[in-house]
Amino acid sequence: MADRKTDRLIRVDMTRQTATIESFPEKWKLLGGRGLSARILLEECDPTCDPLEAENVFVLAPGLLAGSSAPTSGRLSVGGKSPLTGGIKEANVGGDAGQDLMKLGYRAVIVTGKPENPDLRYGLSVFADEVTVVGADEHKGKWNYPLIEDLCKVYSKKASFVSIGPAGELLLAGASVACTDHSQDRHPARHAGRGGLGAVMGSKGLKFFVIEAGGTRARKPVDKTFFQLSKKYTREFVAGPGQEPFPKWGTSVICEEANSIYTFPYKNRVEGRSPDVETLDGMRIVESFETRGGGMHNCLTGCIVKCSNIVHDANGEYKTSGLEFETLTMLGSNCAIAHWEDVADLDRLCDDIGLDTIEMGAAIGVYMDAGGMEFGDAEGAKRLVREIAEGTEIGRAIGNGAATIGRLKNHHRVPSVKGQAIPAWDPRPLKSAGVTYCTSAMGADHTAGLVVDPGMAPEEFVRSSQESQILNAVVDSSGFCQFLMPNIVEIGEFYSSFLGTSISREEMADMGWRCLEDEWEFNRRAGFGPEDDKMAPCMAEDVIGDEVKFVWDVPDSVVATAYERFEAREELFEMRPS
Amino acid sequence: MPILEVPSRYRVPTRGEAVLELSGTTIRECIAEAETRFPGFLELILDSQGRQKRFVRFFLNGEGLERDALDSALEPGDRVTIMASAAGG
Ligand code: SF4
Repeated sequence: MADRKTDRLIRVDMTRQTATIESFPEKWKLLGGRGLSARILLEECDPTCDPLEAENVFVLAPGLLAGSSAPTSGRLSVGGKSPLTGGIKEANVGGDAGQDLMKLGYRAVIVTGKPENPDLRYGLSVFADEVTVVGADEHKGKWNYPLIEDLCKVYSKKASFVSIGPAGELLLAGASVACTDHSQDRHPARHAGRGGLGAVMGSKGLKFFVIEAGGTRARKPVDKTFFQLSKKYTREFVAGPGQEPFPKWGTSVICEEANSIYTFPYKNRVEGRSPDVETLDGMRIVESFETRGGGMHNCLTGCIVKCSNIVHDANGEYKTSGLEFETLTMLGSNCAIAHWEDVADLDRLCDDIGLDTIEMGAAIGVYMDAGGMEFGDAEGAKRLVREIAEGTEIGRAIGNGAATIGRLKNHHRVPSVKGQAIPAWDPRPLKSAGVTYCTSAMGADHTAGLVVDPGMAPEEFVRSSQESQILNAVVDSSGFCQFLMPNIVEIGEFYSSFLGTSISREEMADMGWRCLEDEWEFNRRAGFGPEDDKMAPCMAEDVIGDEVKFVWDVPDSVVATAYERFEAREELFEMRPS
Repeated sequence: MPILEVPSRYRVPTRGEAVLELSGTTIRECIAEAETRFPGFLELILDSQGRQKRFVRFFLNGEGLERDALDSALEPGDRVTIMASAAGG
């Protein structure tokens, strides 16, 4: 069993196709997940590099508590310089890869270089004491589901996988990195979606990682109170927040609430509400469980939230899983596609081809808005997504994201920040989220800091954005899933007992802030400046709402104050991810 | 008079008003009265069939209420708090 004393990291040189195991540097011992990925990139990656060239660094970094018995703590950070934004990117993902890497004591995988022959494919096999680059040409071009089916025949029943589909191999900026979930069939349905990191993995010639943790036991904490803490937290969560509609039925059931507060974008965001909310609402998916099967499950071992839905088709056959609010909104409402079943088809296609559903929903919405296709044409949208895998000209443009298709069609309404599409949560009613989209080093990304509060007082926009950015940096470094909704104090208690050293809530917040600073510094060295922090112009032009109107009107000078750290107040420590 | 406390998530129609003094004798009546003063408020709290929405919870004088308590009688001075349970995604 790995413990913290024997922690290691894996270095992979894809120019030479070699992999080595090193001891984990002491200087990084308090870092995990997103914070670790940011530090590695700042120290080891030239921020001015071409994201698809050998100099970019591709990182897998499980959260600090991954592999332990803390509930819902096995999330994995995927990092690199983004081909979509040109800045630093971390995409946080469930599935079992993060848990398994940490159970083996691997705190990070750092991939550099690039094979001379771009037509060759490789995999990385990770065992307890052996890490090997293996040939994978036979898997070239495979979609994620058949790829994993084939890999499951070769590797053990307990192996977990990280993979890319054709979109990553085609080096498209909307390409995701797939992780297999905790189901028996190990579906590649959990995606590190945002920022095009699938293309970075593809540029390294890597088609998959396999992690063979076998029966390796959970990581041991220093202080045994860790077990009591885990039990207490689990008990309280299950009896309290676990009973609420979200997380009980997953994010998909939020559609109706989001629609009522004008953050269910319709037709490339010209409206904030959709007339189709009833047929898109995830409650229809929940209702389908009774007649078709499917249900809720945990996407990673040890998750007590179990917010991931398993969606079956009309014949009772598995179609997709982890069909989230963001996907129903962006590939549904935003494209005026009216029915959740069509969105489920699109979700499956995106998972299989290896695409970010948010970026694809935004790109198809822009394409429809620009006259490329009728709004609401579900079958046309499915054809278009298939074209991405085929690598047609229009397919590649869509696969490269909303900004690319907007440029190609010379269209004025492109809802993106730093080149990344704005997610479902709309910055016009949710100004604090808008401040996050403008100031996060990762561009428009709700997971970087979201507060769902359209009634927020203007003087709170920046401060609450900063607080949620600090909180989410802490959560995404810890391995906890944001949907467990832990606050900084609780995470600090877990860190303290796991590491056997007292870490104050202020020190935890400092770690979150340091992560943000590392990310901002990377972008600064990459050439980013204040002009890159601008909200998409259409958010300031297109007014949404009925009795009350919403438009983006937060001045740039106010947004910029998010870079100055506010003095910590109680709200920072009490806040929970939303 | 009962008092209705509105969370900031639902304060857009109330133009920022956080505390409403109302004369209704049930929560439902109070919400209907709030709607006449602040159009657009009711649809945030109740669905088209008049049922409490999925993410809405009521507390009466600090005690959580069951989901079917919309029509129970209120006393003058009662404080009804609306809570929006966490939503993410
Ligand atoms: S809370 Fe949901 S998304 Fe997070 S780890 Fe659990 S099942 Fe996966």
